[in-house]
Amino acid sequence: MKKIILVSVVASLTFATAGLLEDAAKLDVKKVCDVKANGLDKVLDIAKKYNQEAIKLGVEFKRLGVKNREYIKYASEAIKAKSKVTVIKYKSKGKDKTKKFDTEYATWRACTFAIRGLQQKVEAEKTWRMAVPGDGFKY
Amino acid sequence: MKKRVVSLLIASCALLSAQDFSAQANKDKEALKEYLEKKFADKKGATAFFPYSTKDELDKNFKWGIKGDEFRLGSYAFNKGGREQYEEVIEMPPYEDAIDAGKELYDGVKFKNGKSFKDCFPDTTIAGDYPKFVKGKGVITLTGAINSCLKDNGEKTWKQTKGKMADLEAYFAFTSKEKGKKVNIIIDSKEAAEAYERGKKEYYSQRGYLKLSCASCHVQGAGQRVRNEYMSPLLGQTTHFPVYRLKWEGLGTLERRLKGCNKDQGENPHKPGSKWLNELSYFMAYMSNGMPVDGPDIRK
Repeated sequence: MKKIILVSVVASLTFATAGLLEDAAKLDVKKVCDVKANGLDKVLDIAKKYNQEAIKLGVEFKRLGVKNREYIKYASEAIKAKSKVTVIKYKSKGKDKTKKFDTEYATWRACTFAIRGLQQKVEAEKTWRMAVPGDGFKY
Repeated sequence: MKKRVVSLLIASCALLSAQDFSAQANKDKEALKEYLEKKFADKKGATAFFPYSTKDELDKNFKWGIKGDEFRLGSYAFNKGGREQYEEVIEMPPYEDAIDAGKELYDGVKFKNGKSFKDCFPDTTIAGDYPKFVKGKGVITLTGAINSCLKDNGEKTWKQTKGKMADLEAYFAFTSKEKGKKVNIIIDSKEAAEAYERGKKEYYSQRGYLKLSCASCHVQGAGQRVRNEYMSPLLGQTTHFPVYRLKWEGLGTLERRLKGCNKDQGENPHKPGSKWLNELSYFMAYMSNGMPVDGPDIRK
């Protein structure tokens, strides 16, 4: 019985992961991450949902020392505080650093980064062999 | 006589099955070598491989006709200016103190239980034998093996990127090089072959916000210039670790370098010691199989 439950849990988790990846692959990033059209809260929710999956799969983006989870965390705080500026605190080479972004920009970035990480994972399944000498790479 | 025949049969079967499991990896290695040797064969054919380089650059900055083992020098194999600077620095190698420190760790340090690294690694000429695939454990890098030794003997594990870890690895690499050891990565089971394939897939997958694969820089991009630096080829890339990088002003392990590459791709780097990074290293090291161990060395 225990085994059946375990197998069902693993199966549903696998299905959920595959589902999220497939979902992400179909999204139009420009549309779903448009903060003007959809509002900050909705766009940030999308970022949270897909970035969790990107972390799990080891494909989370990081730019200039800032992880996408940090864009999400600090954009979320800024939205709650109704601040137009998002202040991101992060560590780089053991030192504390800060970066400031327009909150709309930070939210848009978090959303596009989260979805693109997953979309690239799906794309790579089809494209990686094209770069392998002796396989798909022709020169 | 009968016994000898049976033993011979068993040995041949084992050899055959080992060759089967590594057959694809050997094909990959040969194809990579063929590509790189063609790419760096001569100036005439180079314009197809280096579309952004001027004729003048290809003429003045490149050495042509690079073959197999020469690629272990990275970009210094073909970059004339870089090679000259490298040869000047190597006259007084800045990593010598690290080799001494590594020897001291190996010879002089006793664990609290009275044992030492000698009990875990009776032979120091092992730098080319890692990463290894161990059934039930997965890929074990030299860094992982050193930390396992510490842990198994009740000691605190070391940071995997620099410091004592790089020093001890420098000593292992140095003694391996002195003995003329070669990279000897083994794929002898289905599980090992699968780990290799996963590492290969990640190496060739585009990732990060810059959408670069490792191969973008070190296979297709090898020899191309980013700002003022020429990118090194995958072939021979793991032979010379740990390296003293002028950028780091110190010695670092392969894990440290890979973490940096991962960051440069625009991705949150995978942790040293993670399955992902270990399998990537396994694939990369196999591509250097049979090449002389050449560490520690210097890179920019």
